[in-house]
Amino acid sequence: MKRSFCSLLVLLATAALVRAEDKVPLKLDLPKPLFAGTPRPISLPNLEPPLVGKRPDLMVPAGTVLLSRGKPVTSSDSLPVIGELAFITDGDKSGVDGTYVELGPMVQWVQIDLGAPAKLAAIVVWHFHSQARVYHAVIVQVSDDPTFKQNVRTLFNNDDDNSAKLGKGTDFAYIETNAGRVIDAKGATARYVRLYSNGNTSDELNHYCEVEVFGQLAK
Amino acid sequence: MRSHLLRHLPFAVVALIALGLRTHDLAHRPMHADEANQAVKVGELLETGRYAFDANDHHGPTLYYAALPLAWMRGQHSLAALDETTVRLVPAIAGTMGVLLLAAFAAPLGRWPAVAAAAFMAVAPPAVYYSRYFVQETLLVTFLLAALVCAQRWWRTGRIAWAIGAGVGGGLMLATKESAPLFAVAAVVALLAVRAHLPATRRVGRDILIAGGTTIAVALVFYSSFGTHFAGVRDTVAAVGHGWNRATGDSGHEKPWWYYLRLFTWQRSGGLVWEQLAFSTLALIGGVAVFFSERKLLRWAAVYLVVIVAVLSLTPYKTPWHAMQLVPMLSLLAAGAIAAMPVGWMAAVVGGIVLAAQGFQTNRVAFVYPADERNPYAYVHSSPDVRKFRALAETALARSPTQPVRIISEEYWPLPWYLRGLPRVGYWSAPPDDCDGALVIASVGQAGAVRAKLHGNYREALLGLRPGFVCSVFTPASP
Repeated sequence: MKRSFCSLLVLLATAALVRAEDKVPLKLDLPKPLFAGTPRPISLPNLEPPLVGKRPDLMVPAGTVLLSRGKPVTSSDSLPVIGELAFITDGDKSGVDGTYVELGPMVQWVQIDLGAPAKLAAIVVWHFHSQARVYHAVIVQVSDDPTFKQNVRTLFNNDDDNSAKLGKGTDFAYIETNAGRVIDAKGATARYVRLYSNGNTSDELNHYCEVEVFGQLAK
Repeated sequence: MRSHLLRHLPFAVVALIALGLRTHDLAHRPMHADEANQAVKVGELLETGRYAFDANDHHGPTLYYAALPLAWMRGQHSLAALDETTVRLVPAIAGTMGVLLLAAFAAPLGRWPAVAAAAFMAVAPPAVYYSRYFVQETLLVTFLLAALVCAQRWWRTGRIAWAIGAGVGGGLMLATKESAPLFAVAAVVALLAVRAHLPATRRVGRDILIAGGTTIAVALVFYSSFGTHFAGVRDTVAAVGHGWNRATGDSGHEKPWWYYLRLFTWQRSGGLVWEQLAFSTLALIGGVAVFFSERKLLRWAAVYLVVIVAVLSLTPYKTPWHAMQLVPMLSLLAAGAIAAMPVGWMAAVVGGIVLAAQGFQTNRVAFVYPADERNPYAYVHSSPDVRKFRALAETALARSPTQPVRIISEEYWPLPWYLRGLPRVGYWSAPPDDCDGALVIASVGQAGAVRAKLHGNYREALLGLRPGFVCSVFTPASP
């Protein structure tokens, strides 16, 4: 009896030890940072692998035309330090100095007035493509209301942390290239197109080389 | 007494302006990789009391030791507690002292030219920018000016205390950066070129020996970590070799010979114009005028400047913080031009215009675009995005208390600074076998390989380390 009692005690103690061992913190041997010299001002192999072959075509209805060329542009930053808002619809998407507009830091938007309601097929945006960078909180909305309070539809949103306070988005962030970003407008009918961003991976500013809106004027 | 105060009031005003420009909102700019690297070293010194000179890609230890009293005064006793303001106060205070030392050095020109020289340095864009930047350059300039002021006083008075002071300044220069001898040699060359009068003492050789001995002693104290790491003294020899290789070899920092001249004239980048034309023109006028005057000090400054500009310009390795070395003597020559003006009101107007132009540029350089890649002084600078990593890591560690944060990238500074004090953070330069973690940060170049090794679902976002260098951030998706 005494023996079995002792055995029970040993068993309990062992079980307690095992449970305690279960809670032993995981010991990780992680490498420390290496001290290094001044980073070099060269382009590192830090780019998204280039698209192999041609980008898949976005299928749009026959009769789709470019609607945005030369159309008026307004912005949350009405007095850009660099460039002019008109650059956004002037057709020059080369991206060199003097062809892009620079808006201030924080969340900024630009808005294109197509002049009349249109059935939209696609929106293509070039923010800045002379360097590998990613624009944060890229949101593209359309509306019939110039103040974007009514009948607002979101076509693209990669604001994964809701920094623009327009709701979390699930679209992917992307690295800017000269190919621009093609956004499927899915036939939405609207007169106004508004694009948001919240700085980029190089600085806190917002840039646009060009925005092209394709579709057909609504009948 | 009152006249004494009034006499020094202009210097006090200039010093206050210099201090204000150098200390206002010091934490505003993200940490550059070099600043972060050195701030982490300060943190280790704070925590362990140990410092070991590393000749590879590192300069002397004065910067780190100078940060200690400031950290203690601000109640920061660990790397985790240390902040940007504390470390940047080191160059900020040194930069302000440098302005006053230039005024003392320019004193033989007269009171107002000395005030003008100090004022030009107080508002010069490179001087302000790098006085807010935790690297060695500002300390080197300040120690050089201290050595020059002491040497100048010794030359005039012959008092041995000034020679020792110059030796201390020289020792601090050596303990700051391995390029220090260049400036000493340039100073001697300029001295020989201007054929200065003989010093006031007859014991020149003895005094120079004492000054030289003091220089070596001070440098030894620092490189041996105050007698606790004598291998550091041996490694200084290697540092000279590393410095030479970096200066002349394939460092990745090679630039054309006119690089520094462009910084002091005019350049346009991404629609923004950066210039110091008014200041440089005035200094050039002052430089030409020295050959028509008997001012030996100005002649010395002109020759010294020519030597330094020539050496820096002909050296393939160039970084913008070296421009800081040109500011004191350019300021002195500009002040010489002011002093040479025939009427006082003309000097005041010209000086005012130059100060206003420089002040405008300084505002853009140091406060409006401090980390913008178009800013010629923001060299390979970290992006504002780097500030976002810490919140992500804290959230991830709270959510997964046993999992590590993995940084897998060929370059990752300044992240060790921003993630300081957090547990379970590791750094890899190539993907390890196990890539999973509470948060995985990989350079976009390695993101594909990392992605292939991850198990389970991760959300992926993109953040910048610096312009052109983007990181993929993998966060485990919520179940």
